[in-house]
Amino acid sequence: MMKSAFKFLGILLIVGLIVPAGALAEKEIKIGAIYPLTGGAAAAGRELRAGAELAAEIANNVMADIDMSMAKNSGIKNMGGAKIKLIFKDHEGNPTLGADLAKKLILDDKVDGILGCYHSSVTKTVSAVAEQYGIPMINGSSTSPELTKRGFKWFWRTTPHDVWFTKDLFELLKGLSEGKVKGVAAVPKDQLTNLASACEKTEWGSFVSELIEQFAKEYGFNVRKSLLYAKEAPDLSSEVRSLKAANPDAMLFASYTSDAILMVKTLKAQKIQPKLLWGQDAGFETPEFKSALGDSIVGILTRTVFLPQVVQLKQVAGHVNDLYKAKVGNDLTGASARSFTGVQTWVHVLEKSGSTQPADIQKAANALHIPGNELVVPWAGIKFATSGDEIGQNVLGSGLIGQYQKGPDGQIGLQIIYPFDVASADMIYPFPKF
Amino acid sequence: MDILLSSIVAGLLIGMILAIVALGLTIIFGVMDIVNFAHGEFLMIGMYSGLLTAQATGIDPLLTLPLAAAVGCFLGILCYVGFIKFLLRGPMIAQLLGTFGLMLFLRNLALLIFGSEDRALHHGILVGKSFDIGMGIIIPATKLAAAGLSVLAFWGVWLLMNRTKVGKALRATALNAQGARYMGIPIERMNALAWGIGGGTVAVAGALIVNFWSVNPFVGLLFTMIAFAIVALGGFGSVPGAFFAGLVVGMITEIPGIWDFFTYTFNLDWMADVPMTSFKYMWVYLAYFVIMVLRPRGLFGWKQ
Repeated sequence: MMKSAFKFLGILLIVGLIVPAGALAEKEIKIGAIYPLTGGAAAAGRELRAGAELAAEIANNVMADIDMSMAKNSGIKNMGGAKIKLIFKDHEGNPTLGADLAKKLILDDKVDGILGCYHSSVTKTVSAVAEQYGIPMINGSSTSPELTKRGFKWFWRTTPHDVWFTKDLFELLKGLSEGKVKGVAAVPKDQLTNLASACEKTEWGSFVSELIEQFAKEYGFNVRKSLLYAKEAPDLSSEVRSLKAANPDAMLFASYTSDAILMVKTLKAQKIQPKLLWGQDAGFETPEFKSALGDSIVGILTRTVFLPQVVQLKQVAGHVNDLYKAKVGNDLTGASARSFTGVQTWVHVLEKSGSTQPADIQKAANALHIPGNELVVPWAGIKFATSGDEIGQNVLGSGLIGQYQKGPDGQIGLQIIYPFDVASADMIYPFPKF
Repeated sequence: MDILLSSIVAGLLIGMILAIVALGLTIIFGVMDIVNFAHGEFLMIGMYSGLLTAQATGIDPLLTLPLAAAVGCFLGILCYVGFIKFLLRGPMIAQLLGTFGLMLFLRNLALLIFGSEDRALHHGILVGKSFDIGMGIIIPATKLAAAGLSVLAFWGVWLLMNRTKVGKALRATALNAQGARYMGIPIERMNALAWGIGGGTVAVAGALIVNFWSVNPFVGLLFTMIAFAIVALGGFGSVPGAFFAGLVVGMITEIPGIWDFFTYTFNLDWMADVPMTSFKYMWVYLAYFVIMVLRPRGLFGWKQ
């Protein structure tokens, strides 16, 4: 009896020595995803997480009906079917916490790469940590132009940044006076010339505020008031009264979720009546914005990179949107579509590098080209700049401007207003009464 | 002109609301000479009790006030009996650090239970409604109701302090605790009562404020700071002082509006470029500083 027990243990020992531990378990590629899962932008965080998870699910399984190369294989084909494993961390919108989490992911979890972080201020500190440790980071949804102006070697950004988006806004304003906007007769220039902006005062909002001033000068508009506020502010009434005092034709905002809702509520309570209301994405396109404010958002414009109408232009977006809707309950948003694209970019980079060595990933990312027909977002593709003053920036991105309108079914949704050639509805102008 | 008028009205309204936030702080200080750093956290708990009750039961947020008052009162008494009573035996510094610890504990407890998400009320009889009374003055219904109830609360507390036996006992305890004890006043109970009233009024303030401000576990800090400024300005321990100072502080937070009035009346471009709204609370703390230097007792202070 004793003898056979020893024999069994001996066999176990030999098997254990011969077969390396990793061979039995499936190989995994660990990507640390740092998002705001709680705090003021938690609603956007949920979207970001769901979008990233869906992309990982498609990459890890064969889904033949989706017309994407990552859906054709199970895992990373060039790495023996290694699966993508996302490790989520919550930065709460706090840059210091984000940097700590990045260190933990790199040193304790030994991640092969990083994805995130939504808030530009957090992306800034997290990317600095990644750069320091030489770990590749792909950013899908932070839009402060400064992020790709630092000459980082381990940082790539797929989304277009705020210079693009703010220019889109001014093209729309110009288009209004030229009669290019679908359903709106040319607006005399002197009726739409005074602007006022209110932006949250971290990295992202303060740059948007500067960009608005810069483009206003270039396009011949007059910024009567531009103010910055804290995104955590529990009350914005004095800010709103200050905007009102400037008596602008158009009001422009850069806000995260809870402050965007508070801002519109306060505008409504103060019965403010500008001709045009525009938000720089983020809070203005979260599902919470719509559910909390209901009918009062009809007529508000927001820039975005994804609208459900994109589905009519791109079949692949429709398929992914159906899967997303079945999983989460709402359509893809700019946040989820971009976190999806972030993970997808990781998959393409890994297919190209064939290894998780940082140097190989770096080489692959710099030589990457994903054609537009692979993507859910309406971009010409993904290709990173490797020289010039925007190293790591995707040069093939583009933006959209949508407007909340009530559909025939009574549901409020976003319609494409800009670019003019893909407009999906007549623009409501001027902004209706709250 | 309408910019100026609307700023003044807004300043007075918010002043009355800030005054009720500071009321509890001044009562506790007046009776016991103890500075409650956890005051803002009591307010935060009042905000959560109003918000969660309204959301869970579907009743109007304004009807949750009695519940918030009860929660705040109970919490105040609990804190006194379970914690502050023991701190009083220690030196002044222990009391300061003790209530500071209480603040950290309550804040982190709220973080654990409610998470760090901002929550706000989107529905209610008054939520989102406002009255246009002409001349560019628009009064949000929620703020008007809160200001009105604040005046009522002040009146009630003033009556309690000046027209009842209990109030007399409270004031006696405040003037000379030892003497009051010799006269047969149960000062322990008076202290507990002061904490109960303090907790109750600030929780009511919280349930009123949640009608128009969002709440998260960190919201208390801003209010603690402002309440300190109000109490210092009005005089530690003075109930009418808190009301008057609340109005003054409310007007100070409206300095940006007054600035805008001059900017657009005289069309001064350089004035439009000054980010006044970013500094709206700075003036409050500046006033606090000036008062501390020039008149440490405050405007209505009666305790040395």
